[in-house]
Amino acid sequence: MSEARTSARPEWGTLIGICLTFFAIGVTVNVLVYEHVGSAVKTIAAAGIVLSATSELAYIAVRDVGGSILAALIAGWVVASRFGLLAASLGTRIKVGHLQRSCAALNCLDPNVGVAMQQTTPSGVMSAFWWVTGALHLGWWCGTFAGVFLGNIIGDANRLGLDAVFPALLLAIIANLLRQRPGFVAAIIGGGLCAALLPIAPAGTPIILSLTGAVVALRVPESQVAKP
Amino acid sequence: MTWTLVLALSAIAYVFKVTGLVIVGGRQLPAVVNRCLGLIPAALVSALIVNSTLGGDDGMVFDARAIGVAAAILVAARRAPLVVVIVTGAAITALARAAGIAV
Repeated sequence: MSEARTSARPEWGTLIGICLTFFAIGVTVNVLVYEHVGSAVKTIAAAGIVLSATSELAYIAVRDVGGSILAALIAGWVVASRFGLLAASLGTRIKVGHLQRSCAALNCLDPNVGVAMQQTTPSGVMSAFWWVTGALHLGWWCGTFAGVFLGNIIGDANRLGLDAVFPALLLAIIANLLRQRPGFVAAIIGGGLCAALLPIAPAGTPIILSLTGAVVALRVPESQVAKP
Repeated sequence: MTWTLVLALSAIAYVFKVTGLVIVGGRQLPAVVNRCLGLIPAALVSALIVNSTLGGDDGMVFDARAIGVAAAILVAARRAPLVVVIVTGAAITALARAAGIAV
């Protein structure tokens, strides 16, 4: 992701990186979910139906500290609400029918929207979105099965630094956005607000409140571009 | 986690997504709203980076992940390819853990 994308398909290196990252996330998250659920079928079903590692983790985190089922569900929903905002963000850039729009909506995740939004044409946005969606699904499903059926062999995945893979992927994806001043301001305020609220706010809330960064960044003229 | 909970967890997530892309995204929005929506990925994803780097059971924790992600930031700033950024983050985190630094 070293240059702004102009072609429809992201580089193979990017797609492979996203695939491997989601493999790692699939392994680490589903080892954890399997431990809590105790059923391979339910773990795999949750991986496919919920299709949100962060929502599953938010649910587990609240239950782990003794929270009620409702509180855990709300935490999962709050975390998932960002997908609606990402979807709305993507929706303004594409020109497709209701069927494809609905299919895209169900697959809106952080990396595919992040990469797609850097394209310059509506067809490029949609094409990049589906390429990245395919790569992350491949990695996620392979990781899910590996986590469920080989979790005991893999052992502590964090020992391999796999818990740093997701933030590193997201960082690489938004690197180009950070080179434009409005994007940089939005990211600094969003990230800073999240860090400030993390110790005090309920799970998921800091992420949603980070939207303030996008609102504040509206005041930064688009013509100002940060030096690379 | 029962089947009901799995479905409940996913149902609202689907509603959010479909509302965002199908209903809101299909309309012609004012320019300022469009621009704001364009900035949302930067704000939200950076918050997610902070959350997945510093988040823990007790709120905020500073462990090996922070060292790994800091290294990834340095590499990304030098316009390294995506795979290099990811591998750097994971490798430095693993090394920091192995060395017993900020475990």
